[in-house]
Amino acid sequence: MKSLIKGLLGGLALLAFSAAGQTVHADAIADIKKAGVIKVGVKADYKPYGFIDPSGAIVGIEPDLAKEVAAKLGVKVELIPVLSSNRMQFLEQGKIDLMIATMTDTAERRKVVHIVDPNYYSSGTNILALKKFGFKKWEDLRDKPVCGIQGAFYNKSTSEKYGAKIVAFKGTAEVYAALKQGSCVAFVYDDSAIVAKTTEPDFADYEMPLPTIDDAPWGLAVKLGEDKFAKFISDMIVGWHKSGRILALETQYGVTNTPFAKAMHDKYK
Amino acid sequence: MDSFYQWFQVLYETTGINLPFIYDSYDRSRLINGFFMTIQLSVTCLFFSTIIGMIGAWLQGSPLKWTRRIVNGYIQLFRNTPPLVQLYFFYFAIGSMLPKVTTDYGGEAPLLGNFAWAVISLSFFAGAFNVEIFRSGIEAVPKSTVEAAESLGFSRLQIYKDITLPLALRVVLPSLNNNLVNLVKTTTLAYAIAVPEMLYETNQIWSDNVNVTEMMIFLLLAYFFLVGVLVWGMNRWEQAMKIPGYGE
Amino acid sequence: MRPAPGKTGYKTDLPVMHAVRMPAAERSAFRLKLWHILPILLFCIFSSSLGFAATTPGQLSAFDTLLRWMPLLLKGFGFNLLISVMAMSFGTVVGVALGLGQLSLSKSLSRFSWFITQFFRNSPWLVLLFFSMFLLPFEFNVAGVIIPLPDWLKATFGLSLPVMANVSEIVRGAVKSLPSGQWEAAESLAYTRRQTLWLIILPQCVKRMLPPWMNLYSILTMATVLASIVGVSEVMTLTGRVLSSEGGRTELLAPFYGFVLLLFFIYCYPIARWTVRLEKKFAVIN
Repeated sequence: MKSLIKGLLGGLALLAFSAAGQTVHADAIADIKKAGVIKVGVKADYKPYGFIDPSGAIVGIEPDLAKEVAAKLGVKVELIPVLSSNRMQFLEQGKIDLMIATMTDTAERRKVVHIVDPNYYSSGTNILALKKFGFKKWEDLRDKPVCGIQGAFYNKSTSEKYGAKIVAFKGTAEVYAALKQGSCVAFVYDDSAIVAKTTEPDFADYEMPLPTIDDAPWGLAVKLGEDKFAKFISDMIVGWHKSGRILALETQYGVTNTPFAKAMHDKYK
Repeated sequence: MDSFYQWFQVLYETTGINLPFIYDSYDRSRLINGFFMTIQLSVTCLFFSTIIGMIGAWLQGSPLKWTRRIVNGYIQLFRNTPPLVQLYFFYFAIGSMLPKVTTDYGGEAPLLGNFAWAVISLSFFAGAFNVEIFRSGIEAVPKSTVEAAESLGFSRLQIYKDITLPLALRVVLPSLNNNLVNLVKTTTLAYAIAVPEMLYETNQIWSDNVNVTEMMIFLLLAYFFLVGVLVWGMNRWEQAMKIPGYGE
Repeated sequence: MRPAPGKTGYKTDLPVMHAVRMPAAERSAFRLKLWHILPILLFCIFSSSLGFAATTPGQLSAFDTLLRWMPLLLKGFGFNLLISVMAMSFGTVVGVALGLGQLSLSKSLSRFSWFITQFFRNSPWLVLLFFSMFLLPFEFNVAGVIIPLPDWLKATFGLSLPVMANVSEIVRGAVKSLPSGQWEAAESLAYTRRQTLWLIILPQCVKRMLPPWMNLYSILTMATVLASIVGVSEVMTLTGRVLSSEGGRTELLAPFYGFVLLLFFIYCYPIARWTVRLEKKFAVIN
């Protein structure tokens, strides 16, 4: 028994020792070049921004951007799948060096991670609903069940401001099944994805009727304090907008060119 | 009351401990609803799963071959598959096959909503375990007792109801307690079909406010409280029903 | 009186001379027989014909899509199994120690063990999982050597905590269910408490502990899908990602989740049958 207690204490001490042994670096670029690999956090369940192919590798608009960053630095890229609930935490812990994970840029989030300016992308909120319901304005959704994705930031405003009853599921397949079943009347989601969905023959009876609101830019982020790295990424983003890379990627993955991407391209041309 | 809530806002600004479900009225009402929904879900499932357990254990002793086969098939299926996937199946696959009713806003919704399906799925899941538990309890009843009852002219149902079940219940109470506690915690799975219970609401709050740690601690304490009440009640019941001569 | 077929060869009219027939409960245990193949085959053909139904031109049928993604899903399932086995082993070892601690005569040890058991037993598994993911570092820096701690290992540790608590309760319950006569007899034969526990009580408890322990293992295996909520790449997470990358086609929900269901069933059902056999093997004539 005594030896067991001693062993446990020793283990705890080792843990504390190793944790204390981590020093704070403020030069991410040098570290990345030394390690030879940049770890980028991306989504793996949000087509077309980040999704998997049959071999398990993550592909999509954001992984492609990550690969370009790696190429510019001259290192390999390691794509780490993240969730909305852990993407900022991974960055803080140092598990990832850069985060490109469909994160909306808000003042709150800027306190936790360093969001790089200019914003690389943007999308607004709209709904997918049956034409026969004839929704014209957001107020029409009051007291009706509206499907959403768990964790989306616009769920709260849709239910708080417009009184809709949000029924949130884990993934898009569940939502579309519930929509078809009739468990909800509409699906509140990013407008770029909805537009793509209405072109599918399966969803010919559906439309995107309401005015798009909450056009919120997305931000990619680095750890707080990594100013040199942030500057480097910022230059890359400007380069993407200038060359129209974002627009090209959108077209490649079947997304209609968003007005934000077009506007940024015009701005930096 | 408002000043009490405002104190938490100040707490957030000074220390960074973010508890929006206290100072934000919208989050607060949502979380309270979630808490009551969890209680509702737990109590309903507890009740139905115990009934399913008792009925299933009785059917397992039936002289009819097919009754026994069906009950055993049900147990094997529900015990050896994840409840999350069972939930999905009930809600999406079977739910879509049911007749639809028209709702007041001119749409058509399936007959059973997601709460009903959560109750059905979780009750059957816990019920499968309960059948096994009750079966082991029934086997612990000495055969001589059952034979004595038979010789006194009790019918099979009477033996089960008046002799076997009360004795078996006392023997299996610790295992049943365990299973019911697990059921309360398993109700969190209902979040997957959008039943607005505590985990679902907490998930939404931490997605909006990025305070995963605080919300997880809150969840821990809330479930501690719920489970603690249940365990205390079951322990009291266990004490009241103790059979002398067993244990230390 | 003719002897019953397959019983003793000689003629007798004394029922007590007939060979023992298995009790009814024994015969009812579900066993996979040869003729079961027929309904299973019918079910497979029926469901796969649904799955083979061509959806829209250019899209693979549900069954072909499933085949395409199967290797990845199987790899994810392998993770689930690995997590469950490791969590169970670690949790059992510590749990038995904790259970014995609860029974100890030293007040402080029994209080401490009781507290730990209740704490981890009453916590939702998800929260324990989350805390272990969050609090454990993602790599250890021991004297300059970096040892990475992958996500699934952290999840394993997180899941072993409730296992430990439940095993402790199982041990305590099993010991308590033995007739007190055993303790009294051991005491009268001058066994020390330690000898009583190890030589008399625990061996009898093993049979009683086995069903709830296997029960716990099956609960644990199902609980490994909770790791999908914290982002570990196990089978549920992968299924979600696959469904999303297939564009959220609703007709894929049933086949993919049915496949996950099948995987778990194929793994857990033989274990359940094995438990029954083990129970019989350790059966004590009552």
